[in-house]
Amino acid sequence: MNKKNRRGVFRAIAACTLSAAMLLSGGCGSKGAQRGPGGPNAQQGGTIFVITKQSLSFWDDVKKGAEDAGEEFGYDIVFREGTNDNDYSSQEAAIYDAVKKKAKAIVIAPNGKTELNKAFEEAEKNGIKIININSRADYEGVASFIRCSDYESGSVAARNAINLLQVKDPELATLKNIAIIPSTAATSEERVAGFIDSFTSQAADAIAPIDMTETNEKKVQDARSAKIDAYKKGVIQGAACSSESAAKDAAMKILQSNRDSISVMFGTNTNTTLGICEAIEELELEKDITVIGFNSDEKELAYIKTHVLDGTVIQNPYMMGYVGVRYAKRAINGDSVPSRMDTGAVFVDAENINDDFIQLMIYPDGKPDAAEKTDGGEG
Amino acid sequence: MAKNNKSKGSGAYIFAGILIAIIYIINTFLVESIYWGNQEVSQKTGQANSALNKINSELTAINMDSISIAAGIIPPEDIGITMGDTNKRYGNIIAAEHQFEAIEDLSPTVVKRYNYAKSLITAFKDKLDSLGTKNVKEGNEEMMSDILKQEIYPLQTTASEMLISTIDVVNVETAKMNAANTKRAFALMTVMMIVAILGEIAVWLFARRAKKIRAELEEREKNLAEVDAKLKATRQKASDLAVINVLTGMKNRYALDSDVSDRLETGRFNIAVFDMDNFRSINDTYGYDFGDEYLAAVAEKLKEEFGDVAEIYNITGNEFCFLFNSSVTESQAMGIAQNIQRVMSSPYEVLNLAVQLPCSGAVYHYLPGDCLNVNSLLVKLDTALRTVKMNGGNMINTVMNM
Repeated sequence: MNKKNRRGVFRAIAACTLSAAMLLSGGCGSKGAQRGPGGPNAQQGGTIFVITKQSLSFWDDVKKGAEDAGEEFGYDIVFREGTNDNDYSSQEAAIYDAVKKKAKAIVIAPNGKTELNKAFEEAEKNGIKIININSRADYEGVASFIRCSDYESGSVAARNAINLLQVKDPELATLKNIAIIPSTAATSEERVAGFIDSFTSQAADAIAPIDMTETNEKKVQDARSAKIDAYKKGVIQGAACSSESAAKDAAMKILQSNRDSISVMFGTNTNTTLGICEAIEELELEKDITVIGFNSDEKELAYIKTHVLDGTVIQNPYMMGYVGVRYAKRAINGDSVPSRMDTGAVFVDAENINDDFIQLMIYPDGKPDAAEKTDGGEG
Repeated sequence: MAKNNKSKGSGAYIFAGILIAIIYIINTFLVESIYWGNQEVSQKTGQANSALNKINSELTAINMDSISIAAGIIPPEDIGITMGDTNKRYGNIIAAEHQFEAIEDLSPTVVKRYNYAKSLITAFKDKLDSLGTKNVKEGNEEMMSDILKQEIYPLQTTASEMLISTIDVVNVETAKMNAANTKRAFALMTVMMIVAILGEIAVWLFARRAKKIRAELEEREKNLAEVDAKLKATRQKASDLAVINVLTGMKNRYALDSDVSDRLETGRFNIAVFDMDNFRSINDTYGYDFGDEYLAAVAEKLKEEFGDVAEIYNITGNEFCFLFNSSVTESQAMGIAQNIQRVMSSPYEVLNLAVQLPCSGAVYHYLPGDCLNVNSLLVKLDTALRTVKMNGGNMINTVMNM
């Protein structure tokens, strides 16, 4: 290359560099302005495992909430579930899978209080954050426990049962016994306890009227406690049922022998609620017995509309899934998370079933046109 | 022509300058639009977050008041005041909701999350209202505690979670929008830069080509100029040959004709002719080449001696004509003529031979209108010269005016 050509090439390079410098210098001013507010997802991204108890509509709503949060905050959600609410081995395998796949967090509704602890330890060792939802896991490494208290949910059911009874009988003067069809699910026991405790407490005056002739207050209280305890012991409890037909049979059996001595029947999940409703409808006892159930299966909603089912308690599984993933994200980012959170329970009856909030609780993704929730509640 | 080429070449640089200016202006507008776009996004984000934070803080305050009532922290006589505060706070919540809902172009995700929060807030308020109107006044503490614990508190906490989530989603989307803006801006600027570089390369190539063409044209011009100069020189030479004697380098007879013709009618001048006596003997003795060298030597000497006072013409082989300058008088002319004769008659060394020939001359003090043309002028001078030669030569004769 001669001197002349070299000069030409040098000029060309200089011109191009000048142009590029001008463009870049023009662009430099925008850099600061282009910076956003930073946002909460500076460290977003990764996988969160959501492990549920079993395949039921309740858990579908948990998944919906988890999916929404994952999408909003930029995490991939991997779902795993047990085959039933005692199947912890599938959940254990899912936790090890999360470890293998280098998940950032696990959101789990454990099928056992301590059975998964070894797997949890392994996960924690690998830096995986653990968020516990629905039922408690006795493991120290749980960052947050998000649930709806089953005891309090039972209490909500009882309180609203009394409210309904008081519509017809404000003083509950005609209050009779209560009958309960529990389910085989782990949640059933606490719901039953919450229902009975709250019911007997709030209907105490009707169950054990104060003896105005007795002046000794202690004697009065003891007598009342004895009556309430007796009432509690007298509560009719059917055998724990795992299916709608079994619950119906159990309800039929109770009603056939005690139909005149029952004011309230309580089902602790979808199957038992539906079983009770079928029995009540068949025996045409809708007006005589107040039926309180759990969950929001389409059949249950239909029974509310026909007044066979007087009311049902619904939890907020969508919120459980959503907040579970949200807290997982916060834990991953090193932010503090509340150690526990109650997502609450709501009583649904014919009066409030069409409220926006209730509709949102029942249909987190909007009311489906044709498809219906038919596969039962959370068990 | 050269100027034209230069203007063609500079056109490329003007084009390059305009291209850079256009790109710079577009780039400036681009950066401006990105800046204002981001400003708008930041403003919306600020408004949205401000409204949501206000709702959340008021909601938390209402919940705290409710818990305080339930816990008996607020005395019964102040419950009415607290409930008034709650209504005010709820009014602030409604205002903040309107503020948030007035923001345009919020994404469906943000709206979905906000609507969820709003539904929970509405349920919270409804539940609180029912508690306020029914249980608080009746003082059913157990019922109030249960409702607070089981329904109102979870509603507030979940509503708060949804509000904070809405803020998070707004921030995430803002970050995404800003990132997309930045990405788009850099993509556009990269394209612009590529266009600019390609444009500059094109300009450079064009300029290089123009320069090459200009160089070629300059080369051609140079060649043409050379040819032109050669032509002119040839013409000049040809012209000179027509009026100059090749041997002596003096003007010839035709030149004399041209120089004097116009002066014959009105001019007054002195003119003389000189001729070697018996010059033929030189040619016969030493040859023509020698004779030519001799003449050249004589001519050189004459030019040297008399070039200042007269225009000298070699009108025939050894015949020289002297057209004296107008400043030379008649008497001076005669004196100079004598000097000419002396110089011409002097010995000259040619080819190592000293040769000396006498010469004869005729001087004519020309008066206006003496002759009609140069030919008759020369005839007069030649006649006078022949007269001298017939009388033995080596003399100067004067042309008599008629």
